[in-house]
Amino acid sequence: MERTRIKIVGQSGSGLLTAGELISKGLQKLGFHLCADREYPSLIKGGHSCYTINFSQTPVKSLSRDADILVAIDKHSLMAYFDTLKKDGVFIHGYEKMTNIPDILKKVEERNIETVNLPSRQIAFDNGGTVQMANIILTGMTWKVLGFEFAIIEKLVHEKFAKKEALLNVALKCLRAAYDGAETKQTIALPAKKEETIFLDGNHAIALGAIHGGMRFYVTYPMSPSSSILTHVANMSDDTGVVVKQAEDEITAVQMSLGAMFAGTRSMTATSGGGYDLMTESVSLAGIIENPLVIVLAQRPGPGTGLPTWTAQSDLNLAIHSSHGEFPRVVIACSDPEDCFDNVQHAFNFAEAYQVPVILLTEKVVCESKITSTPFAQNKIEIERGLASNLDSLKQEDRFRITDSGLSTRWLPGSCDTTFFANGDEHDERGVLDESEKAGDMYEKRMRKLDLIKANLPKPKVYGPEKDADISFVGWGSSKTVMEDIIAQYEEKDVSVNFLHFEVVWPLEEEVLSTFFVQNKNVHLLEGNYGGQFGMKVEALGHTFAGKLLKWNGRPFFIEDIQDYIHQHLKK
Amino acid sequence: MSIDKKTLEQLSCKAREYNAYESDQVMTWCGGCGNYSIQNALKRALVLEKIAPKDVLSCFDVGCSGNGSDKIETYTIHGLHGRVLPLAVGAKIANENLHVIASAGDGAALSEGVNHLIHAVRSDYPILFLHHDNQNYALTTGQASATTPQNCKMNGTPQGVKIDVINPLDLVFSVKPSFVAQTTSADIDHMTEMIREGLNHKGFAFIQILQSCPTYNKIMTDEWLLKNTERVEDLPDYDVHNLTEARAFLEESKKIPLGVLYKNPRKENFIQTLSHREKYKTTLIEEVKSVDVSPHLSSLKG
Repeated sequence: MERTRIKIVGQSGSGLLTAGELISKGLQKLGFHLCADREYPSLIKGGHSCYTINFSQTPVKSLSRDADILVAIDKHSLMAYFDTLKKDGVFIHGYEKMTNIPDILKKVEERNIETVNLPSRQIAFDNGGTVQMANIILTGMTWKVLGFEFAIIEKLVHEKFAKKEALLNVALKCLRAAYDGAETKQTIALPAKKEETIFLDGNHAIALGAIHGGMRFYVTYPMSPSSSILTHVANMSDDTGVVVKQAEDEITAVQMSLGAMFAGTRSMTATSGGGYDLMTESVSLAGIIENPLVIVLAQRPGPGTGLPTWTAQSDLNLAIHSSHGEFPRVVIACSDPEDCFDNVQHAFNFAEAYQVPVILLTEKVVCESKITSTPFAQNKIEIERGLASNLDSLKQEDRFRITDSGLSTRWLPGSCDTTFFANGDEHDERGVLDESEKAGDMYEKRMRKLDLIKANLPKPKVYGPEKDADISFVGWGSSKTVMEDIIAQYEEKDVSVNFLHFEVVWPLEEEVLSTFFVQNKNVHLLEGNYGGQFGMKVEALGHTFAGKLLKWNGRPFFIEDIQDYIHQHLKK
Repeated sequence: MSIDKKTLEQLSCKAREYNAYESDQVMTWCGGCGNYSIQNALKRALVLEKIAPKDVLSCFDVGCSGNGSDKIETYTIHGLHGRVLPLAVGAKIANENLHVIASAGDGAALSEGVNHLIHAVRSDYPILFLHHDNQNYALTTGQASATTPQNCKMNGTPQGVKIDVINPLDLVFSVKPSFVAQTTSADIDHMTEMIREGLNHKGFAFIQILQSCPTYNKIMTDEWLLKNTERVEDLPDYDVHNLTEARAFLEESKKIPLGVLYKNPRKENFIQTLSHREKYKTTLIEEVKSVDVSPHLSSLKG
């Protein structure tokens, strides 16, 4: 279960993304499991970026803070990231004047770091290229350091430059020279069994899942880290016929989506916290007119513009409590590409079946981390529209009829002669304005749906042993990926760790939660925000955490964060 | 372009169709409010165009116009203030077969949601928009709007409104509309004909309705409106297909012009611009089914 941790660092725009993707795809081709993510500033050029790859023979879903191999494209990024390189690690770079960085040379010696250095600029020039070939040269060097076959990376570079003939030859020559010039420093066994995987990030999976689940209209306003959903849906639109609209603002996006769902197609919008703030009035409208609505809320740290390209779990309260008035809603949190694919389909089903807004929470680390996954199973989740079939016998008052379950019959405009009135003002069963004392009955009818939803939602899942763990965690969203890796690691060490993970975070499931606290005595909260927002909801039910591991600096939970925390809390 | 005798006779034979649009709700507008005639004209136009209530989606903003939302028997949605245009557009994109009619006042269209108006005109979404312009925020008891004339003293502006107005037609003309008409609630026949024209337009039909508000607008009364307006169809040389001339005419005319001021029936509406959907004969509501994404999944394999 040993993982190898690579960090490729350089300025944004220096080509590190290409290097990272080439190496990642090469590893996938070799049959490794991997998780890759990009740390980058909210800039197009400049600033430090880092492409992290963790790979292993067994599934790996989480990211590391530290690196075994550091690949530096330029001096500035090397200075910024050098301290993540561990003792006995490998330092790969193409810098020619090492005497200019005495601090680094000292650290190399102290930490027994092996250096692999070729003059990247010279190699580029000798082969007819420019300094921009540095990323290809470092790719070649890294591939050799890892000890993998040249033909694999050569083919990928070939594909990458297929459309740029002039550059292709230069790139291949540079790659060859770099590969030949470097030495193999790692002995990494190839996976014995080559499992077929797909390699993608959460946003791509959401786009695929939404299309698979019948979404026909995608409308949005770009905002990191949700923006690439637009790219993916739009890139697939020629094949799928999905209508894609980049609206003039987030309010437009959510209103169009609401209108389209009202008319009866499946539509979705996506944004981040600031954009979602603008949408909240519309969420409330969906609540009172009992209209399905699906919004992807991709979290990044706030407040304000915050850290646009970094990660957080700080909008849970926003998702659960946003909008004026009270109304039922569902909040689902995604953790990895596979459940992004599934959950977006569930989101549509819940929204239509219960006639409520559904907020699909993601995080930058979920949106943009690429993870090798088992190819997604299609047609696993049936499309549930929750639409009336008795179109001939409908009465106007059926649309908002006050029922025991709170659910009334929904049909589509134009589908039958019985029209109805969806009124954003409080209304009677026909939708007509009602300001009498009976208005409370309609309010209550809507709220009753919360119990119906609660009874029918998927339960939270325990990872690791059910009970009597040495240390237990409760969390939601992306922490699942790191905890899956942790549980597997600690099994080998004979320490029992378990984790209760919530996918549906609202309405809050209470029974499994209570049982978990009864059966485990050392339960800790794991959450990517300052206040412990989910933890407070758990505590409100009378449960007590033995401790809390919270993080709010824009970084995801790295595997080392959990290891350190467990180390501290098991000693006690 | 008033309703002729023949049309009126046609209408009188269609009492049953007209009544299908009538609701049993008590009217809540002030006596003499322009909304009565606007709704009447809308219902007449729908009947004359032989459109059934079940095929109409009426979308209402918030305000006095929005209080008409339970006075017409169609599929109806009464949404948020300022946001009726994107709501209506979303529904139309989903189901092109619906006749989607959006109604909003000058507060919604020119202040709270002015961005939506600009982009709706620019995008030429195929819906009908009835802009109820009574030059004030009536439902909130007579505050100034973007069309309140300068120096009018309103609730909240006791010194009078000092800033200049937004001319809705000027604004709409500046973003290359495909259909612009102006009419007035003082003339129900003219409104009926304008709405019929708008219903038959295939792109974004912007109808500016100068609406009397007897409670808060003491200047723009029905009498004033009839006296100070003229019809472009009565003008011998008016070219309804010339945007430059329409703009110049608006600037120069001494009276307020009524009628279809500009139309471009050749402009592609938003849905027609979706070239990737040329082969689709269905609406988006008919297409909600599982789509096989395996070719896309395969491309992600190692």
